[in-house]
Amino acid sequence: MKKAMQHARRGFAWIWRHKVRTVALLVVLVLVAPKPVKSQFLDPCCAIMAAGLNTIGSTLSSVIGGGLNDILSIEQDISKFEQTVVWPQQLINQARSLVASMRGLFNQMEGVMRIPVNSATLPATQQFEQVLLSRDPNQIAQTTTQYAAVYGAVPDNTAASPQTRDLVDMTDAAAQAAMKRAIEIDALADLELQAADQINQSIATAAPGSAPIIEAQADAWLVRANAYTQSATADLMRVRAVDLANASANVKNGAANSTAIQQQIYNILKRP
Amino acid sequence: MAILTNMLFGVFFIFFCYGMIVAKSRRQLLALALAGILAVSLASPPPAEAQASIITAIQSVLNVINGKIQVALTAINKVRSTINKYYQEAIWPVAAMNQARALVTQMIGQYRNLMQGIFSIRLNSATLPNPVALENVTRNHQTGDLAAVTTSFTSTFGSVPTATAASPADRTMMDMDDALAMDNLKTLKESDSADDLALQAADNIEDQASQAAAGSAPFLTATAVAASIQSQALTQKMLAAELRQEAARLAHENALRKRGATITGDVSTQILNLLQKR
Repeated sequence: MKKAMQHARRGFAWIWRHKVRTVALLVVLVLVAPKPVKSQFLDPCCAIMAAGLNTIGSTLSSVIGGGLNDILSIEQDISKFEQTVVWPQQLINQARSLVASMRGLFNQMEGVMRIPVNSATLPATQQFEQVLLSRDPNQIAQTTTQYAAVYGAVPDNTAASPQTRDLVDMTDAAAQAAMKRAIEIDALADLELQAADQINQSIATAAPGSAPIIEAQADAWLVRANAYTQSATADLMRVRAVDLANASANVKNGAANSTAIQQQIYNILKRP
Repeated sequence: MAILTNMLFGVFFIFFCYGMIVAKSRRQLLALALAGILAVSLASPPPAEAQASIITAIQSVLNVINGKIQVALTAINKVRSTINKYYQEAIWPVAAMNQARALVTQMIGQYRNLMQGIFSIRLNSATLPNPVALENVTRNHQTGDLAAVTTSFTSTFGSVPTATAASPADRTMMDMDDALAMDNLKTLKESDSADDLALQAADNIEDQASQAAAGSAPFLTATAVAASIQSQALTQKMLAAELRQEAARLAHENALRKRGATITGDVSTQILNLLQKR
């Protein structure tokens, strides 16, 4: 015991002499002192974590997995409905092939309408007919000259009364305008046929979702075509109106001529 | 791994203690202490989590799954079910689509043959050989025999007189009138033929409509509209032909008026000359 006390006193003396070293050793000792380590089997923390992870797993499986399965089932139902009832690929392909066959039919129609129908036999009439059936708006300018070559020009003021000249000029104008309009309408109809073919071509390669867009464009073209038809009908009405006016003018001229003749006969009879 | 770490740690501690004891100066001591502290700081493990915080974290994950995610999935499920029901019962009910297809089939049966029958009734009415031939050729819906129109027309209405038999003005006008009349008769043949094709196209579209689905119908409506444009273009060509014909008739009457004016002028001059001679 005495010896132990001596050793202790000597140790304390050493510590007292080496205060700095002792403090540094203590600091390092405190810092490096072993800390509690988590055990896989005995530590309750790992067990709790394992139980928690198991619960999360089963919850994911039941709540999220179950919910997703329900959604998947509905999506499959919708997909089947859309593929078999709403947009069946086979019927879509069938419709596309119909469009392709329609193109063939309409090309045939266009070909039929392009067969030449020229029938005139004399040089002047052949030229005029050629212009009238040309379907070329650039040839409209030639109509006036060739019309005059076939139907004659307005008589000069020594050859006819002013009323007759007015009548003749107006009637020629209406006839020529109708002929010019006929050339225009033919050209427009050709362009419409061309556009319709392009539309048909694009329908043949369209998707069900894009077909209504093409249909809308086709509808717009139909409206336009109706407008041109109306315009042609208007010109036809104009020609017929001038024709009616001519008939009326003939009656008026007849009445005027009768009055003039009566007057002249009266004048002759009055002479002594 | 833990044993190896402990051994390394023990060796480090023994060497460190030895260094501290045998250090001869304060500077060595300080350097050794700093090196030791630095090594320990770098190698020290992160503080351990408390048990309570793990339970809280797990519970919060479970709360999220059972709360927000479950509610969201249920809502999505409900929406998709509603959409599915709406598709099948309101937008594309199979019964209504079958009914529409049946209607198309029924209308084909009800009208197609009836209308074809009415449209194919023969309208020919001529009795003499030349007019019969002309009527036949102008109503046969063929386009391969346009030359026959000219022959039959000439047989029926006569040809343009020779240069010695009529004045040039009369011959020109007769030829123009005949030409436009024949042009239109030929155009009518073309139009009849095109009409047959248009009717065939309409039948094809209708046949396809009787089997169509909601998704394939837009193709049919689009091509039907395109067909309407083409049909409208053909109507315009007919109108153009009619315009030419009406204009020619007007021009013909006007040419006669011009000639009448000229003749009247000539007659007046001649009468005046006669009276002046007396």
